[in-house]
Amino acid sequence: MKPHRVRRIPPMIPTASMADIAFLLIIFFMLTTSFSPEKTSVELPQSEIRTEVPRDAAIIAITEEGIIRFTDGERPSFALGTAAELGPLTQEVVRWIPDKEFLIKADRMVRYELIDAVLEQLRRNGAKKVGLLTEKKIGGSV
Amino acid sequence: MKLRERLRSGAEIPTSSMADIAFLLIIFFMLTAVFATTEGLQFDLPDDDPTQLDVQPEEAIHIKIIGEGQHLVDKTPMTLEEMGGYVQMKMQQNPEKPVIIQTEANVPYFVMIDVFDLLKYLEVQNISIPTQSEVERWKAFGIFE
Repeated sequence: MKPHRVRRIPPMIPTASMADIAFLLIIFFMLTTSFSPEKTSVELPQSEIRTEVPRDAAIIAITEEGIIRFTDGERPSFALGTAAELGPLTQEVVRWIPDKEFLIKADRMVRYELIDAVLEQLRRNGAKKVGLLTEKKIGGSV
Repeated sequence: MKLRERLRSGAEIPTSSMADIAFLLIIFFMLTAVFATTEGLQFDLPDDDPTQLDVQPEEAIHIKIIGEGQHLVDKTPMTLEEMGGYVQMKMQQNPEKPVIIQTEANVPYFVMIDVFDLLKYLEVQNISIPTQSEVERWKAFGIFE
């Protein structure tokens, strides 16, 4: 009997679908990324207790140098000269959405008087809800 | 003359580097992404009414932050741990007891957050953060020093 000859195929890894997978991942990341109108980089204070804040809130960012930036949550943020400029902006936001949340995204080393000035403007101009953005406390308990 | 037969290869687009490009793009997007912080400490601001006093300061626990690790709780200097014990004891007697956080102007923000976080951790219901002008007003009413 003549033995059946085995045909040898060189081993290979199919890579043709790799690009499809990669592009699928790109599309996934692009669709799930939510764009924030406030991109100022600050080192937030840390806290143990944190609650979820609404994504469409107005944000007041305060950098370590004391620069205040404001966004109503829709338009890109812009710098303000003084905390007093926040007054009319707050009034305008509250007129349309009375219970709009205002988030303070301040650097951990900012002097408290700036936070105080911002809170004062918010309170005077009818803001009801305020949130102080924090990072999760790493290690150590309260 | 014998014509040389041309070697015909099938037309094809080189796609082997496509995956490299795509993964490069993924890595670029992942590295440039700025993660939005969507968590923090929340509270409600009182209405702006000069005649109204939401918190009666004499009934409240009064925390004055004068520096990093320096707090006056009802006029007694305490560390953060001691303050925790004190507030907890007061809360057991009266869970509704308001707590006022007053922070000096030159104190870094994170010191105030530490105290606020501690009070939230102890599940204090009524936390009041008066602004400087409110403190002045309370002083004018003679119920705050």
